[in-house]
Amino acid sequence: MKLLRNRWTGYAVFLVALLLVPAIFTRVPFYTMSVAVVMGLQAITALGLVPLTGRGRQISIGQAGFYGIGGYTSALLSTRLGVSPLLGIATGAVLAAIVAWVLGRFLFRVQGHYLALATLSFGLTLNFLFAQLPLTGATSGITAVPSISLFGSDVSSDLSVYYLVAAMLLAATVVVDSLLRSPLGRAVTAVGDSPVAAAASGVSISALRRGMFALSAVLAAISGGLYVHWSSFADPSMLGILVSIQFLVVATVGGLRTVWGAPLGAFVVITLSEVAKSTIPDLVPGASGDYEIVVYGVALILVLIFLPDGVAGLFRRRTSIVHNLKGD
Amino acid sequence: MAELFTGLATGTTYALVGLGIALIFQVTGVINFAQGDFVAVGGLLFAVLREDGFDTPVAAVLSIVLSTAIGILTYALVILPARRAGHDRLMILTIGVSIVLQGAALLVFGADSHFAPPFGPGRPLRFAGITLPSQYAWCAGVTAVVMVLLWLFLTRTPTGTAMRASAMDPDAARLTGISPERMGLLVFALAAGLAAIAGTVLAPLQPPDATIGVALGLKGFTAAVIGGLVSPIGAVAGGLVIGLVETYATGYLSSEYKDTLTFGLLLMVLLIRPGGLVRRGAGVDRV
Repeated sequence: MKLLRNRWTGYAVFLVALLLVPAIFTRVPFYTMSVAVVMGLQAITALGLVPLTGRGRQISIGQAGFYGIGGYTSALLSTRLGVSPLLGIATGAVLAAIVAWVLGRFLFRVQGHYLALATLSFGLTLNFLFAQLPLTGATSGITAVPSISLFGSDVSSDLSVYYLVAAMLLAATVVVDSLLRSPLGRAVTAVGDSPVAAAASGVSISALRRGMFALSAVLAAISGGLYVHWSSFADPSMLGILVSIQFLVVATVGGLRTVWGAPLGAFVVITLSEVAKSTIPDLVPGASGDYEIVVYGVALILVLIFLPDGVAGLFRRRTSIVHNLKGD
Repeated sequence: MAELFTGLATGTTYALVGLGIALIFQVTGVINFAQGDFVAVGGLLFAVLREDGFDTPVAAVLSIVLSTAIGILTYALVILPARRAGHDRLMILTIGVSIVLQGAALLVFGADSHFAPPFGPGRPLRFAGITLPSQYAWCAGVTAVVMVLLWLFLTRTPTGTAMRASAMDPDAARLTGISPERMGLLVFALAAGLAAIAGTVLAPLQPPDATIGVALGLKGFTAAVIGGLVSPIGAVAGGLVIGLVETYATGYLSSEYKDTLTFGLLLMVLLIRPGGLVRRGAGVDRV
């Protein structure tokens, strides 16, 4: 287990796991490559909550807002102006970062419960706006969004989109992990654990919180952009309240303290929801709608009561017990 | 004029939701995201029982009793085991409860709306040149009675006094022999019961489905936050304000903008006056 403590070994293990996914997911029930893409997209967004919520203790239930900004920006640029999708996604990410940075100026004045409600109402207000504005296609959204083309070839099959999403997830994991290990990352953790002590030692609380918020917005926007070019449409349901909540559930179930929580949470939560989608109709014939959310809810409650550090905390606790036994 | 009355009448149900949120927050320090789903479940139970041929009083009592039981289970199974956790974790737990209730409602009742006829005879009310469905009067009347009863309970009974003491200072209350856990259980039962009453009186006006809980809960939050989150009277006033804003927005702009306005209002109050519009001192310190 000690090997896993080395960050480069961790990245290598993750890379191998990501490369093995196509071989495994095409041979096992429930799993398909499109499920793998969804897991990857969820993990990228959830990753943004690790520094912000896990370390900085700033809860956000509005991440779908940034997911939507990323998705709609890229969809609009590529359909209306013919901008290449990758450039569109990058523009969406920059725009999301600017919105987060400016909004953070006001948002982090309120803390705790009020912050949760404020981020929630930010996401909802955007949701309702996007569902009404003519620019965003109102309730019908934007259709016929082109797929991404990379080195002259079209990235449209589930498998090729998976490789792109996996590459992005790996890159994002390395970036966020390196950031958390840097002095800046330690400052973020310090601000989360004791804002007053951190401020007293010369750390700018506000700038750090806004920075982490912008980072989480960038990751959510990239994820939203990748989603739009994969599914070929953007509609207001991207910004729904359940989408924001699902990102938070994925991050919490996986574990908010480490970067490995995001992919683990996406894997666990999406697996549970796929299992629920395929078994519940047989058990309860009258059910309709998004009933699989009942599974997220139960998973969330059980994890919060029994595994405060999420599924990733399970591994960490094991290793620390082993270390303690060795007298380490 | 008609807007004034419909606004106040629908506002009373938001007031009940906001009241439940404020009470739970005051006594346990937990922000209950599931409050709106208690309303949805209460309304759905009532509507489904009515569809199955039960009389209005029987259906209402059954729906309130069952919802109260759900509130008690929520506290005993979810909040109590994690009561030493931080505020954020407790809040995310109630989000879990909200999702479970919504999913369970979809499993049991499906995604369709359920319909309940108005309480009284279908004859609309006519006065001062305006016509209103009689259910609005039931809405306002039931809420008023419930609020008076609640006020009597909180100020005139030993249990109500103990609950207020526990909200003001849990440690001092514990020293006098009041169990905060028992008060927590009681306030969750009370809030779920209030939510079920709101769901029941609202059901004939807005046919409930499994997903209305989210929007109702958010309106309840807005009401509670406008009231400063610790003041029951503030929450009631906040609920009435939202009812009015919503009805006038529907009347003068278009019904599509009513939710945008309500949540814009929430965002504005949070960013400008996080202590609530009717500020009463220490509210924010508890966070």
